[in-house]
Amino acid sequence: MNSYEAELFKDKKLGFFIFLAVEAVMFATLFANYFIFTPADRGPHPSELFEVKTVVLTSFFLLSSSGTLLYAEKALEAKKSMGMLIGLSVTFLFALVFLGLEINEFYEYVSQGYGLSASVFLGAFYVLVGLHAAHVTFGAVWMILLFIHYKSSMPKSLFFEKFKIFSYYWHFVDFIWVFIIIIVYLPYLI
Amino acid sequence: MITKKRLLVLMKRLWALPTILLLSGCNITILNPKSTTGEEQAFLIRLSLMIMSVVIVTVFILLIRFVYKYRKSNLSEGYVPKDVLGNKKLETTWTLIPVMLLAVLAVPTIAITYYQSPVSDSAAKKEGVHVEVVGEQFQWTFIHENEKEEKDELVIPEGEPIIFHLYSKDVIHSFWIPELSGKVDVMPHEELIYEVEDPEIGSYDGKCAEYCGIQHANMRFDVEVVSKEDYKKYLDE
Amino acid sequence: MNLSFLGISKYVPSDVIAAWIFTLIAGLLILIYIIKKRKLPVIWDYLTTTNHRKVGLMYILFGFIFFARAGIDALLIRSQLAVPNNDFWVMQYEKYNEVFTTHGTIMIFFAAMPMLLGLMNVAVPLQIGARDLAYPFLNALGFWMFFSGAVFFNIAFFLDSAPAVGWTGYAPYSTSEFTPGPATDYYVFGVQISGIGTVMTALNLIVTIIRHRAPGMKLTRMPLFSWAALITSTLILVAFTVLGVALYLLMFDRQYGTAFFSGDQGDPVLWQHLFWIFGHPEVYILALPAFGIFSDIITTFSEKRIFGYPAMVVSLALIGFLGYMVWAHHMFTVGLGPIANTFFAVTTMAIAIPTGIKIFNWLFTMRGGRLSFTTPMLFALGFIPSFVMGGVTGVMLSVSAANFQFHDTHFVVAHFHYVIISSTILGIFAGIYYWYPKITGYMLNEKLGKLHFWLFLIGFHMTFLPMHITGMQGMPRRIFTFRIEDGVNATNMISTIGAFLMGIAIMVFLWNLVKTHTTGHKVNADPWNGRTLEWTVASPSPEETFNPMPVITESDAFWYAKKSGKPLKTTNELIASPIAKPSILPALMAFSLFIVATGITYTWNWLAIGGGVMFFTIIIIRTFVDERAEVYGKGENDE
Repeated sequence: MNSYEAELFKDKKLGFFIFLAVEAVMFATLFANYFIFTPADRGPHPSELFEVKTVVLTSFFLLSSSGTLLYAEKALEAKKSMGMLIGLSVTFLFALVFLGLEINEFYEYVSQGYGLSASVFLGAFYVLVGLHAAHVTFGAVWMILLFIHYKSSMPKSLFFEKFKIFSYYWHFVDFIWVFIIIIVYLPYLI
Repeated sequence: MITKKRLLVLMKRLWALPTILLLSGCNITILNPKSTTGEEQAFLIRLSLMIMSVVIVTVFILLIRFVYKYRKSNLSEGYVPKDVLGNKKLETTWTLIPVMLLAVLAVPTIAITYYQSPVSDSAAKKEGVHVEVVGEQFQWTFIHENEKEEKDELVIPEGEPIIFHLYSKDVIHSFWIPELSGKVDVMPHEELIYEVEDPEIGSYDGKCAEYCGIQHANMRFDVEVVSKEDYKKYLDE
Repeated sequence: MNLSFLGISKYVPSDVIAAWIFTLIAGLLILIYIIKKRKLPVIWDYLTTTNHRKVGLMYILFGFIFFARAGIDALLIRSQLAVPNNDFWVMQYEKYNEVFTTHGTIMIFFAAMPMLLGLMNVAVPLQIGARDLAYPFLNALGFWMFFSGAVFFNIAFFLDSAPAVGWTGYAPYSTSEFTPGPATDYYVFGVQISGIGTVMTALNLIVTIIRHRAPGMKLTRMPLFSWAALITSTLILVAFTVLGVALYLLMFDRQYGTAFFSGDQGDPVLWQHLFWIFGHPEVYILALPAFGIFSDIITTFSEKRIFGYPAMVVSLALIGFLGYMVWAHHMFTVGLGPIANTFFAVTTMAIAIPTGIKIFNWLFTMRGGRLSFTTPMLFALGFIPSFVMGGVTGVMLSVSAANFQFHDTHFVVAHFHYVIISSTILGIFAGIYYWYPKITGYMLNEKLGKLHFWLFLIGFHMTFLPMHITGMQGMPRRIFTFRIEDGVNATNMISTIGAFLMGIAIMVFLWNLVKTHTTGHKVNADPWNGRTLEWTVASPSPEETFNPMPVITESDAFWYAKKSGKPLKTTNELIASPIAKPSILPALMAFSLFIVATGITYTWNWLAIGGGVMFFTIIIIRTFVDERAEVYGKGENDE
């Protein structure tokens, strides 16, 4: 990356960090919403619904995907493209497993009759955790695009930039998940 | 150019006029309320208006003076404005004086607000005449202590604290009798308590003040403040 | 009127028919003009542009068109309220409710906001020596999002389903239980889409101001309008995000069966909290840029540096910060309890202090200056006393016990119109007159400009000064009729006359535009004898600016360079600049969201999904046609 590109990358980085701050405000408001409405007077109590096993599994896959992505980043910086590709592939797989587990969790709740409109607690749960899942899905598609970009004739420095921006996004999504564990699940599991 | 200046000055004067009129305002509804609660509110309105008039007058005088004195046509050809970076003393002055003015206003505000604010705590038992107020699209129901119900007409006795228990059956409404005192929102699924002290005998207009739908403008009710004996008679009717 | 089409007969109100006819005729005339004058390439140019001046021009142009529509709404409201027990045209009951809803929503979101963002788009990069906004593509996208949100909202009226929940959309009235049908969804999605666009533009402005100032242009040397843009943008980031979440939750309540804001489990007050956590900072989002415009104009036409620059910047920031601590003063009557009521009363009063500092610093900037009364300066001079009057009633409203009387009456209507018109609208007009040469290369006619100013100012005070008394006499807001014995006949009549005077003033402004473009002449780079960098650039500003790049050594550097007779120092150093390439994708992306919104509103799921697919497809295409690819990987570097 030459100095001109480095300057442009700094632009992009700053803008993306501000974007993530906006996302943080959005999630914070939804956390507050969840906090206000949980538990609800009617409908299921969250402690009847949440299962330790599911939370541990989803968390394991999503949080360790941050680690695998970090590995890919280090490999990219060291110009080891094989390591980068492996790291990114594992991250992608973990994201898919996470999504699968989460869809399964939602499906179980809904099949017990606990959908969006069952109670305000469930409504607040779905609009928050569902939005997070949408972010993970978006990230997964983004990873596919990164593979294609890598194969395309894109300048290496531009790919580096795109990869970096994605990694900020992915770490942020994981960071939000930590808050989901602490605020959404944990109080009703212990 | 001169006529324009004059017009400018005249305009400023015209703006000042209504402020003075407001201060003397004898026949403005909410400045002449018919209850103790309303009087306290009117006192705050007058006080704040008076304090704020000081600010308005100061700004107007300075503006007119500077605009008049430093207009280009009033200055000599070779006049070059001197750059002034600022002035600590002046700037501190116009920070501190507003702080003091607002402090004067804040004290009675806090005192009266603290006492008057509607509360949602239904356990708070207060002495006085209790009336349940039920708002719904688009009518009012008033339920008295002996379960007597009447729609769109509120009868209350003079000289006693009237304690309203308000709630709505559908959307948010707002219960307001301008001649007696301020308004309080009528919320669904929540009871608010609002007190009006010592209303005077008379007939007043009540209105819904929170937009609630197609007939919002016509969601009015009549208020009769009667003597204590008449109120007893009314309850037994 | 009953219209039947393909065997379906439907009652259509005459105002909707009138609007259709008017719009079709106007559209046809514009189409003929475009084809006759061969303007299609120009349209395509603007459809694909990412240049900050052109995007800014479109922001201002469409903001003004929506301003005109909401202005007509206002005149309809005032006509209905002219006399007691009035029956003006169809403006009673639901129609009246629709009209005050669209008036408020359009004025705030689709007129005032875009015109301010447009002025920032035009002036901020030029003032700080940036060659464009940091992300030109995102800038165009932000504009088109505003545009499609605004069009979506406006279409509702033509389909006779305009929203009627007030611009505040208070729940539970705005939930599907009480307002079923598509009308309220138009409000939800129109505001949501354009709100996202606004956040994008704000983000863009922040990065531009932080990263793309000319060498030597320290933050402490930056013109106050750019400062105002920076602080406003940070306010937007939080405020519009919270609004976005509120609308997101309301969408779920209306479409997907949750009950956050209604029912025995939901909480209508939560909507009010979320709305006003957005809504109160929004007032400062509208006012602060206007403060910036007036600061620049007052210094220019007093030929004097701003008095107390540090205090001006600090008070801007302080107003913005305090703006987040006062939202519940809109909710004194909902029963938050005495502690909350007194707390928010005091914080609200505190805002008066930094505002007062600004007022006196402006006054003392003029003191000892050499004042020339150009049109922009007149607007600034009209602003100061008018805004103080609005601020004063603001303090009166903050007195919470007194607020029990004022709340939701015409007194409040008078107050916020005083504040918003005197700052935002006068500020926008001042800005348009001031920067018009920079936008178009023409100077607006000064005579007509002054006539516009005086008519508007007099009309404005005539409308809203008596309205204080209307409110104190006990007239609530949002009612379409009053009785003779309510004692508000005269004041309402005066308000109506004043409103029409403002309408005439806008006609004068339109005439000024026509006259300027038919008989006006082009002006040079610096027609006002300005102080800041934008006046070093040709009028209208070209797509390539600041080449060579100026080097700044003090604030108002251009002014002092002129005074000393030496040109500004420049540098030929290579400076990384934003890359602006025309693209149709922003317009298409915004259009796809329009489709999604239509689909959800009418629960045509196939359409919503189609729009969503289109949206994400365009994002994917965008990742492959990145204009950076042409700049990257050249020169010194690569592995």
